[in-house]
Amino acid sequence: MRSFAYFLRESLRGFTRNLSTTLGSIVTIFLSLLLIGVFLVFGFIVENVMSSVEDEVSIAAYVSDDITEETVTEIEDYVSGLEGVASVSFTTKEQALENFSESNSTGIIEALDGQNPLPASIDVELADPQLVGEVAGKIESYPAFAQNCGYDTPNESIVYGQESVKQLFSLTNYVRYIGVALIALLIFIAFVFINNTIRLAILARRKEIAIMRLVGASNGFIRGPFLMEGALHAVLGAALAVLCLELARNMLLPRIAGALKFLAIDIQFQTFLIIYLALLVSGLLIGLLGSALAMRRYLKV
Amino acid sequence: MAEQNQGRALRAARRGGSHVAHAKPASVTSQLSASLPVLEVDDIPQNMGSPVITFDHVTKIYPAQPNRPALNDISVQIYAGEFVFLVGHSGSGKSTFIRMLIREVKPTEGHIYIADEDLTTMRNWRVPYLRRNIGCVFQDFKLLPNKTVFENVAFALEVIGKSKHVIKTQVPEVLRLVGLQDKLNKLPDQLSGGEQQRVSIARAIVNRPPMLVCDEPTGNLDPQTSRGIMDLLERINRTGTTVLVATHDREMVDNMRRRVIALDRGYLTRDQDRGVYGFDA
Repeated sequence: MRSFAYFLRESLRGFTRNLSTTLGSIVTIFLSLLLIGVFLVFGFIVENVMSSVEDEVSIAAYVSDDITEETVTEIEDYVSGLEGVASVSFTTKEQALENFSESNSTGIIEALDGQNPLPASIDVELADPQLVGEVAGKIESYPAFAQNCGYDTPNESIVYGQESVKQLFSLTNYVRYIGVALIALLIFIAFVFINNTIRLAILARRKEIAIMRLVGASNGFIRGPFLMEGALHAVLGAALAVLCLELARNMLLPRIAGALKFLAIDIQFQTFLIIYLALLVSGLLIGLLGSALAMRRYLKV
Repeated sequence: MAEQNQGRALRAARRGGSHVAHAKPASVTSQLSASLPVLEVDDIPQNMGSPVITFDHVTKIYPAQPNRPALNDISVQIYAGEFVFLVGHSGSGKSTFIRMLIREVKPTEGHIYIADEDLTTMRNWRVPYLRRNIGCVFQDFKLLPNKTVFENVAFALEVIGKSKHVIKTQVPEVLRLVGLQDKLNKLPDQLSGGEQQRVSIARAIVNRPPMLVCDEPTGNLDPQTSRGIMDLLERINRTGTTVLVATHDREMVDNMRRRVIALDRGYLTRDQDRGVYGFDA
């Protein structure tokens, strides 16, 4: 415990000795961890959205504006007879506009100048989400629907959750690849920075180290301050990243959630805690490994 | 080789006599008793039993000079409580000898034993514990310029994990022993060369090692200051510490008449009790 205090004191002295490189390594760790954190949060959001979409797998079959009530009931009767269908309902143009205004800001509605571009739709709730493709296919090829579909082709007129999930998936995959590459690069840079900072610290204390070896300081005692210095840089960087994320969570996230009401952005605080913990731990690992590497190369004990 | 062995046997026979000289004058004893463990004359091993340092056919060849061994088939034994001069010209292997003692370098061939432990097979992590038992003094003092005298000596205790209490009691004591009790808060720059060397000796013995090794301790100092340093080393030796001094200070060696081990271009040329420097200038 006493030597722990000694390590801490010595590593803090290293801070003032090489202030610019110290700041450099802290900032690079901070940035890379912040990026990792942002990507993690983003990933959680996407997952949240996807699961909410998946939960309510439904089919919207848009019909043309001039569809007759009889045709609607005919289609409804046909669809409710299909396997895996829980319920069928009809949404008129007016209802569609109302639903839209509920989940979006009023600005868009005002911009429409009283016009209603939304088509009416037959909404199908499914009992078994797995059958969504099959049911959609049957509705598509049903002649009464095909003649009265809301868009150019029956295919375009049928929208169901699965599709948006797929699109989200391909989008998030790209984001993930870019993210991983970026994070790897940043971690590498942070590594190099810590390595360099510790190397400078070792060089600055060459004489002291020689004497320590001479009077029989144990290897752990010689290495301790440098490991501690690397770890301190990393923890400081991680703390900054956590601080930034926490600020973003409190100030930015509510605004984003307000602007994009149709996405389920709500993330529990526990999830954030896990992210913060992961950042601190990975920061610590980067710091310890970076300084250990520097010592292997520059500190022959 | 045979001649050497014979010399050693003779020396062993004489040794009983030689150590009567180590009986301590009362004044010195009282001065030292406070700070260093004092052995009674009877307690000093009279070169019987096992030696503290044994060089057993040690050869060291540096990779840079494959054809010219720094040390060639050296066999030497040094017993507890001895005061030994290691003499020779530059490049004769004195420093290599000392660096092997603290295991900064390993011998190419042969074995070195310190208190029955073989340095050639010693695990790396044990080396610091070996060095805690060997105080080292060098020609260039190796003091930290930004630390005071007190801090420089305290540093040696601090980094081997001694408590503040031990540091507070032991450091002033050892500085009193080397005669620097009034300069605790001076920086090394503010001291003379002799005083700086005293600080470095204080640092070497503050942990009370059983052995003190000095590489050219008076190399940078004028004759009178050197004499003071040698007196100090002699006093330390009288407390039972084995002292090994590498030097090429002819006058000193001739005056002190201690055991002399002479090296010449890596060969052991002479091992003499109560010897003189012996090389022609």
